[in-house]
Amino acid sequence: MQASPEGETKASPLHMAEVLDRADMTEIAAPATRFAVGTAAAPGALRRFGRWLGSDRIFPRIPFLLVELLFILVIFVPFLLTIYISVLKWRANRPFETAYFSGLENYEAVLSSDLFWLSIARTFYFAGVAVVVELVVGFVLAMLVHQCTRSKKFYTTIFLIPMMIVPIVVGYNFSMIYIDSGPLNQLLAPFLERFGIDPHIRWLSDPVAAQLAIIIADIWQWTSLTFLIFLSGFSALPRQLIDAARVMGATPWQNFWRVQLPLLKPAIVIAVIIRSMEALKMFDPVVLLTFGGPGTSTQTVAYFLWEQVWVFNKFSFGAAASVLLLIMFSVLIYVGIYLLIRQRSTVEGKV
Amino acid sequence: MALKAGLTPEQARARRVRRERVRRTLRHGILLAWTFFIAFPIFWMVSTSFKDSGEWVAWPPHWLPEAPTLHNYAQIFAFRSIDPSLSRQAAEQAFSIWKGLGDALLVCTTAALLALLLGAALAYSISRFQVGGRYFRHTILTIRMIPPIVVAISVLIYYAILIPYATSGVLGARISLFDTYIGLILIYTASTLPFVIWMMLTFVDEVPYTLEHAARLMGASRITVIRRIVLPLVASGMVVTFLFVFILNWAEFLLALTLTHPEVTTLTVLLNKFQSASEGRLYGPQAAIGTMITIPVVVLGILIQKHLVKGFSFGTIRK
Repeated sequence: MQASPEGETKASPLHMAEVLDRADMTEIAAPATRFAVGTAAAPGALRRFGRWLGSDRIFPRIPFLLVELLFILVIFVPFLLTIYISVLKWRANRPFETAYFSGLENYEAVLSSDLFWLSIARTFYFAGVAVVVELVVGFVLAMLVHQCTRSKKFYTTIFLIPMMIVPIVVGYNFSMIYIDSGPLNQLLAPFLERFGIDPHIRWLSDPVAAQLAIIIADIWQWTSLTFLIFLSGFSALPRQLIDAARVMGATPWQNFWRVQLPLLKPAIVIAVIIRSMEALKMFDPVVLLTFGGPGTSTQTVAYFLWEQVWVFNKFSFGAAASVLLLIMFSVLIYVGIYLLIRQRSTVEGKV
Repeated sequence: MALKAGLTPEQARARRVRRERVRRTLRHGILLAWTFFIAFPIFWMVSTSFKDSGEWVAWPPHWLPEAPTLHNYAQIFAFRSIDPSLSRQAAEQAFSIWKGLGDALLVCTTAALLALLLGAALAYSISRFQVGGRYFRHTILTIRMIPPIVVAISVLIYYAILIPYATSGVLGARISLFDTYIGLILIYTASTLPFVIWMMLTFVDEVPYTLEHAARLMGASRITVIRRIVLPLVASGMVVTFLFVFILNWAEFLLALTLTHPEVTTLTVLLNKFQSASEGRLYGPQAAIGTMITIPVVVLGILIQKHLVKGFSFGTIRK
């Protein structure tokens, strides 16, 4: 709390409320007049400017304008520029002056590129599998932890740790585990040697195993988020309703499916939206684990674009692809936000 | 629960107790299995960070380092590469953590503070004056949902082409924001603002408006109202938001990777440099860096554990 000029007029809001209750005008007006005196010393124009800034019309818009300015400068203008670049023929290793207008050629190139479509399909595949597993596991874990009494805090703390770990460190950890003389192969060695298989399996060199590796890394990290969302969903369940259902003779099974699950629907929808939006952006584990390989079998769309731009210097191709990607995503974004708003209003209506 | 026919109450109770015990064992079994699954990669990283180079890829792998050494930590905390036996290339890769740590702290803290300042003010405006209309809250969300790779490509083109082009025309000197602190801070601020706004909205919405209204009526100026009534009530919320955004920035990789090279190096980029090393990977120092990156955010995260759900769900879940 900041030091107040007078000992009596403490700035605590609680005190303020008391003051308001007593409707004692002089006490609360005191700091305000002092502040007014402070500005009165300023020149007239400055004071008028200050009052103009403080007026109802201007004051709320100051932060709004600042933030909008930042968004326009950092997100919107760059995006317009990207659209411009996407209709040029230009590679970054040549001077920008050599670029020339080429119409929709880049878009054609992107749309007819198999790798682009494959990477999109792969992204949805990764995200789909990962999100489904995360939802199911997160739900079960939250349900079990919710039933615990003494050990609840312990499990919650442990289960939330992966979410806080930097994704790139997670990628690194799994790349360690998957190396040919790593701990995973050692765990499997007794089984493999019995069948005469060399336990030095290079997991990340096999397309299917590498894809699984990336999905598992995502599950490892983000099940904690679905767990967290469901746990708060479970703890927000109204006790009386569930007790009432039990007293009226609902079996635990009915109680779960007919009473608890419908109440948890908002949490489920929120978890689905947030996790799928994030999973579709998947990039870090790909870089750390496989660099998109072997071949192109683990390229997500984010990695594909990154490689086109930073490795092959195909800037205008990348620009066209990112414009197309944003157009495709905007449908998802719109649906996602619409559902979030709807769930939010039901959540708030209930509480 | 209905009594089964042919059971005395005592037998029924004993049966219930037994069943409850089985269920509890099963529950703890599953939960402990997941605990093990979570702990395993972390354990392996910490264990590797204490291993000497011979043990990194030994077969069979050593669960615990047989000759624990602080060599990896010494290497990353050294001001200069300390091992003369390393080849030239490896010595170049074995640069210390200090630069990355300093850059990461500078960029993450500044960006988080800037975002907090702007976002908290805007959240107040939205909450109290409905600035930007009823659905402005949700419009802001779209910024967060745009795939970062799209932002990265646009901003790279912008920083590396348009800004140098414009400044050379206007100021006469080519100024590029590529690979600068300011450039990275600006983009971090913009990309975390939606989180700040949504988290702060949940805190500001809880401050009763009547309190402010009364103070205003009694002649307190806007600044006084904010400073004396709103700020004390949302201060803890602001700290939580700051920490949350700091963690997000700390973990950010894609934008840092694309918008900086070779000057500004955040910790995530530093770790990746070891990964792409051409001449054998340096697992030990990597593990040490990974441990060092992880510890502060996990500590901060546990501190704000109660509020994490608010942040990650954009305030849609408030408990």
